[in-house]
Amino acid sequence: MITMLLQLNNIFKWVNSGGQRIFLLKDLSLKVEEGEFISVMGPSGSGKSTLLNVIGMLDNFDEGEYDFLHESVHTLKEKHLATLYKQYIGFVFQAYHLIDELTVYENLEMPLLYKKISGSERKALVADMLDRFNIVGKQKLFPTQLSGGQQQLVGVARALITSPKLILADEPTGNLNSKQGEEIMEIFKQLNDEGVTIIQATHSEKNAAYGSRIINLLDGRMV
Amino acid sequence: MLKNYLKIAWRNLWKSKGYSFLNIFGLAIGITCASLILLWVEDEVNFDSVFSKQDLIYYVPTNQTYEGEWRTFYSTPMLLAKDLKEEIPQIVRAVATSSENFLFTEGENGINRQGRYANADFFEIFSLQFLEGNSKTAFNRPDAIVLTKKTATDLFGKDTPVLNKALRVNNADNYVITGVVQDLPENVSFDFEWLAPFERYSAGVEWMQEYGSNFTDTFVELAPGAYFKEVDDKVRKMLPRITENPGTFAFLHTIKDWHLRSNFEGGKKVGGQIIYVRLFSLIAIVILLIACINFMNLSTARSEKRAKEVGVRKVLGSDKKSLISQFMAEALITATLAAIVSILLLILLLPQFNILIEKQLELQFFDATHLLTLVGITLTCGLLAGWYPAFYLSSFKPVEVLKGVRAKHGTATFIRKGLVVTQFTVSIVFIISTIIVYQQVQHVKSRDLGYEKENLIKIPVNGDMIKNFIPIKQDMIASGLIENVALNNSEVLSGGNNGSGLQWQGGTNTEDVLISFRFVSSNFLETAGIEILEGRGFSNNAAKDSTNTIITESFAKLMGQGSAVGKTITRGNVYTIIGVVKDFLYGDMYGTSDPVMFFNHNDYARYMYVKMKSKNGFDKTLAAMENVMKTHNPVFPFEYEFVDDAFNARFKSEKLIGSLSRIFALLAIIISCLGLFGLSSYTAEQRRKEIGVRKVLGSSVSNIVRLLSKDFMSLVLVAIVLAVPFSWWAMQRWLEGFAYHIEINWLIFAVASLIAVCIALLTVSFQAIKAAIASPVKSLRTE
Repeated sequence: MITMLLQLNNIFKWVNSGGQRIFLLKDLSLKVEEGEFISVMGPSGSGKSTLLNVIGMLDNFDEGEYDFLHESVHTLKEKHLATLYKQYIGFVFQAYHLIDELTVYENLEMPLLYKKISGSERKALVADMLDRFNIVGKQKLFPTQLSGGQQQLVGVARALITSPKLILADEPTGNLNSKQGEEIMEIFKQLNDEGVTIIQATHSEKNAAYGSRIINLLDGRMV
Repeated sequence: MLKNYLKIAWRNLWKSKGYSFLNIFGLAIGITCASLILLWVEDEVNFDSVFSKQDLIYYVPTNQTYEGEWRTFYSTPMLLAKDLKEEIPQIVRAVATSSENFLFTEGENGINRQGRYANADFFEIFSLQFLEGNSKTAFNRPDAIVLTKKTATDLFGKDTPVLNKALRVNNADNYVITGVVQDLPENVSFDFEWLAPFERYSAGVEWMQEYGSNFTDTFVELAPGAYFKEVDDKVRKMLPRITENPGTFAFLHTIKDWHLRSNFEGGKKVGGQIIYVRLFSLIAIVILLIACINFMNLSTARSEKRAKEVGVRKVLGSDKKSLISQFMAEALITATLAAIVSILLLILLLPQFNILIEKQLELQFFDATHLLTLVGITLTCGLLAGWYPAFYLSSFKPVEVLKGVRAKHGTATFIRKGLVVTQFTVSIVFIISTIIVYQQVQHVKSRDLGYEKENLIKIPVNGDMIKNFIPIKQDMIASGLIENVALNNSEVLSGGNNGSGLQWQGGTNTEDVLISFRFVSSNFLETAGIEILEGRGFSNNAAKDSTNTIITESFAKLMGQGSAVGKTITRGNVYTIIGVVKDFLYGDMYGTSDPVMFFNHNDYARYMYVKMKSKNGFDKTLAAMENVMKTHNPVFPFEYEFVDDAFNARFKSEKLIGSLSRIFALLAIIISCLGLFGLSSYTAEQRRKEIGVRKVLGSSVSNIVRLLSKDFMSLVLVAIVLAVPFSWWAMQRWLEGFAYHIEINWLIFAVASLIAVCIALLTVSFQAIKAAIASPVKSLRTE
């Protein structure tokens, strides 16, 4: 059975600059079902990141409706939003955004801490992830001691560790060379096969092709 | 979670060692400074707390009116104590005491000790601990004497039982030791090394039995639960009733105020040392605040480094609350490290501090108050310093900071600037105050006293010194090292020995004026260098001057127009004025002294004054004096004091204020500079790219240094504008407390401002120059 994960209806987002209203998102509607793998494409400044941030509830919007798992996001308070995305959404960034002062192990552990998961369970979950991504040997290293590809691997592992329903990846391979990029995309493909919904923003046609659906954005509109 | 916070905190501290050092060291200085002040305050507040009946014990001063003004004296008639106890049921114990110096001789051993005549109630009132004998029987015999442990040890050696031993006093009287009491600690308002029954002193002395003679200190103990107001009321009514003179009354003054609130003005309590306790407590808080400001400033300035972490944590599910606790935890760790450093600093500095303030303060880590205070300060600092950065950092929006959009700086920058201004304002106020306090003390010290304190030595009179005065004087002068020797019944520096009720020609209400009496040897005026303005000095033959007197010029003014010489003053007998001398200063060194009347009369002398020709080769002079005294007063040990030393000692509390304010000024500046150093290095780092671009476009090093220093210097200028009027106002008020004080010179403000500017410039330009001379290629490439 196919279930609806999220639905955006006529979303507008704008900023006022010098008396002019500049639209970041304009009348955007989108339905995402569970298990989809969507690639968002478009030139720089077309609103890919903004869309991902809105979906991820990191950013708000000015008009329209947003339902996530039958919750009306536009009516929820920030605190509720946090609990919602904490539970269902994992983020992967272009610049990895690992915490430099923490080791690989500790970086993976952090989201679990915020979910108040017990110590023994944390240990098991982190060990699983390290195993799955083949980075057991790197667990005691700090991010600056890893290559970009390895850092992004940790980034993906960190996003996955809370078993989210949705992974939002903003140009996950943007800082990687093609081989490393391919590895990450393969992992995404595999995750999607296991049932995780993925939305990625990308510039690359090749990476976009991994998705089951491609959305093209231009100046905040879907084309 | 906590473990995670601690880990991050520790790694952050470790990663940026420079900033951590500035933070920790700055806070540590603040905590150390506050701890030292609090130790001092504790000692001051606990003064006299060794007396367990503190709450029940009262000093009994008297208020007396002269020329329409109430003045307060701690002296009372001897009879008052007895009558208070008899008449007022709530007064359960009362004692009249009088201070005296005794020479004790035991074998070859002779020592001078200050002590008090008192009665047996004294033991109970002040809860004295008897090591030998007991309070019940100690004063059962008229020749009893009770010694402190220290005196007993000094006389008879350690651990020697001394009970019932005979003791020779002043080489004339025999006493029997009836008790040994535990020594009192340093922080009590009076001390005594022996106690003897008052009767032995007063028996048969007629003037002591009169209500008109104020010469004792009176203490009373109230019954527990007695209503103070009621008792005080009765005490106030007593003297006017007995003496039928409404111009003098006694009142109760709690000994809890003995040390800190013992100043009276117009007959009313106006505080005292307490103002310095309050002032320094305030300073402790201010210095801590400056140190906390550093922490806040450096933390927010470095916020960009932490912004990414905040963003990531928020995305991964952290709420604001847990971020706030994380940053608070970091602040607390820093504060704790600072506290540890400050404990080391305290151990290192306390001995020096003790020397400075002439106290024996101790740091007791296992004392609950000390420990709790330290923990309290640490927590307060951590929370105070941490809350602003915590709220500021935790408010970052993840979308913005992760995108690399610079967090908005408006308010943070404004607050940061405000904090720097605060720090420098405080520092400049400290600098100005330090200069003014110093100038004021110097001003009073160089005041024309009306006599020459240099090369003047004071020797307490004992044994045969009065009887052998003439040969002593002759032999000393014959040594060639000494100019003159004279006697006086009073110290030149001190008040006392005064009275009223005199009549003279040319004055009205003369009975109401308080006059000091000085009974001196004929050559005292020359010896002390008091200038004769009119008439002549005393004749060498005292008998010729038995109805003559010499007065000071302020006294002469009271006698109206024309020369005072030849006029008469009635004080029991009628005295003819043969000379008028320049006023001289005694008693309150900041005030004006009462008029003085001199008599050519040796018998009451208590001090011998020796004028040396020069202080050079003092060893020889000392040997000569000792030699003379050995011949003419062999039994008594020779003791002396320089009058100018005693004069300087009068400024002990001013000196203390002076040195403390110097230290605090220095510390405030150091802490502020640490902060400024951190901030400027941060700014320089932040503007690296800008500096690189400017240099590539041809800017000179000095241009860049100016650019980087300008912002900070304008803050210092704002601080100057704030600090100058405030310190002018505050110091003006302080100076008004002294009758004799300097006028504030505007140059002081200029100098203080210049000092602040120079220090700030030095601090800032170091970083600015470093940034300016860096290679632009390097700084541009890192982008």
